[in-house]
Amino acid sequence: MPVAVLIVDDNARFRVRARRSLEADGYTVVAEAADGASALAAARLHRPSVVLLDIGLPDMSGLSVAERLAREPDAPAVVLTSTHDAADFGDRVTSCGARGFVPKSALSGDAIAALLA
Amino acid sequence: MARSLAQTAEPSEALARALRAIGESLGWRLGTLWEPVPDRPEALTCVETWHAFGVPAEEFETASRAISLASGEGLPGRVWASGQPAWIPDVLADENFPRAPAARRAGLHAAFCFPIRSARGVLGVIEFYTGEARRPDLGLLRTVTAIGDQIGQAVERRRDSEALSAKEARHRAMLDAALDCVVTMDHEGCVVDFNPAAERTFGHTASDAVGRDMAELIIPRELRESHRRGLARYLATEKEVILDRRLEITGLRADGTTFPVELTITRIDVPGPPTFTGYLRDITDRKAAEAELRASRARIVEAADEARRRLERDLHDGAQQRLVELALDLRMAQTRLDDDPARARELLDAALDDLQEATRELRELARGIHPAALTEGGLRPALEALAARSSIPARLVAVPDARFAAPVEAAAYFSVAEGLTNAARHAAAENVEVEVVHVDSRLCVEVRDDGRGGAETSAGSGLRGLADRVAALDGQIDIVSPTSGGTVLRVEIPCGS
Repeated sequence: MPVAVLIVDDNARFRVRARRSLEADGYTVVAEAADGASALAAARLHRPSVVLLDIGLPDMSGLSVAERLAREPDAPAVVLTSTHDAADFGDRVTSCGARGFVPKSALSGDAIAALLA
Repeated sequence: MARSLAQTAEPSEALARALRAIGESLGWRLGTLWEPVPDRPEALTCVETWHAFGVPAEEFETASRAISLASGEGLPGRVWASGQPAWIPDVLADENFPRAPAARRAGLHAAFCFPIRSARGVLGVIEFYTGEARRPDLGLLRTVTAIGDQIGQAVERRRDSEALSAKEARHRAMLDAALDCVVTMDHEGCVVDFNPAAERTFGHTASDAVGRDMAELIIPRELRESHRRGLARYLATEKEVILDRRLEITGLRADGTTFPVELTITRIDVPGPPTFTGYLRDITDRKAAEAELRASRARIVEAADEARRRLERDLHDGAQQRLVELALDLRMAQTRLDDDPARARELLDAALDDLQEATRELRELARGIHPAALTEGGLRPALEALAARSSIPARLVAVPDARFAAPVEAAAYFSVAEGLTNAARHAAAENVEVEVVHVDSRLCVEVRDDGRGGAETSAGSGLRGLADRVAALDGQIDIVSPTSGGTVLRVEIPCGS
């Protein structure tokens, strides 16, 4: 069964390419969100297995969204992403409950699968 | 007699009167006064003469005034050299008497001469002549010598007192003319002296101030106690804590306002209880200038930091995003290469578009940081490019072809950029003109638009940042922006000839 993905990023052009890339690799993109609040709402509504989550969101840090998602029952697997380095965000990247981090320029279905394994 | 004479008149007038008084009371015929020549102190000259009524003295007096005598020469010279009185029974029989011929024709025979002496030495000599030869009268000589001493001391005191008055007058003139306030205080803390600068600065007249307690007068209430304690401690221990150092304190004006003051206190060296002189300078302006300097430095550093943050943001939001998109497009093209080459080609075309966009944005970013055209070609190509990119029609009226120092060119360039931005964004102008001319040793930049007026330098960080940049180069920035319309941004930057 295809894996349901929620893509969260405030940059529309990136969401287009991310969707294209993940669908080409067999993922089903069930929803997109452009900020933290709508990301949490979409996660509750569509119950994705995976959330591709940009850290730099306009209303709150993606790391905060990750922490909140981790507290939900049946929490999705969160994969963090950014144009910045993971190192720029410090310890919270590992402690917020996400499965891992993929730099945007290296995004692919395989990179995500590696983190979920 | 000599004392009263010397006190009432100028020394020279007093000596002339003394001559007549002595001559008349002795009943002798003629008297002369000799003093050293002003710039040749070893020569004596006759400065005053007297003769009794009826004496044919003209020739002798003329002869006396005409000659100058060296030390030891003639009767005056003799007394001058020895400092002792002398008596000549008959000058016509004396070997050391140059004026003998004139003396004969005047019928003069006996003569005596006595010195006018003071603590400083012999100030001059006085001679007297009479009509017949006489034997030395030692009693008379002693008397006139005592008179000479009295006259000498009186003249000396008079000269000293005049010198002191002149010195005091000079000091008073210095205090009156001084730009700094000079306030003198006695050991009880009362004002003794208050110069005109102090009157102007503190707002009290000297006559009001003198005699008043200085702390009550010019020291703010909350500082008075520590002033009084400091003074008391100094008087008790003689320990100098604040003398002869530059202090910054607060002064109180007559109208109740306070202001920052730079103060130096010295103790005046006179016998008895101490007197202190304070030199005060109103440093309100200097403090304001220092504060503005600190503030503008902080603004400049903050502007540099803000520019860096903006740069990071622009790179992140712009060029980096484009490169991410490029990477994802190429990756997609890669995966499609074998099974769907047509789709792969579409993806590669899209990747090339992304690359164009990224390059364009980076170029724009670089221009915003510091345009290559300015560095390479100077103001003309850089301003032409600015005018071409302006969203409203911009005419470049004049721009020098010469090159200037990099900071000057940068200031001129960013002045035009700011002017064009404001014309489009705030003034909603329809036309804008740019004129840059090199006049004397200044580069004058004007950006004139026909839009809404009412702009101010304080408004907007862009203009304030420009103002700081221009001030750092000792330039000037002006905005003429009447509410009726139109704005002229004018910047002048010193640039050498």
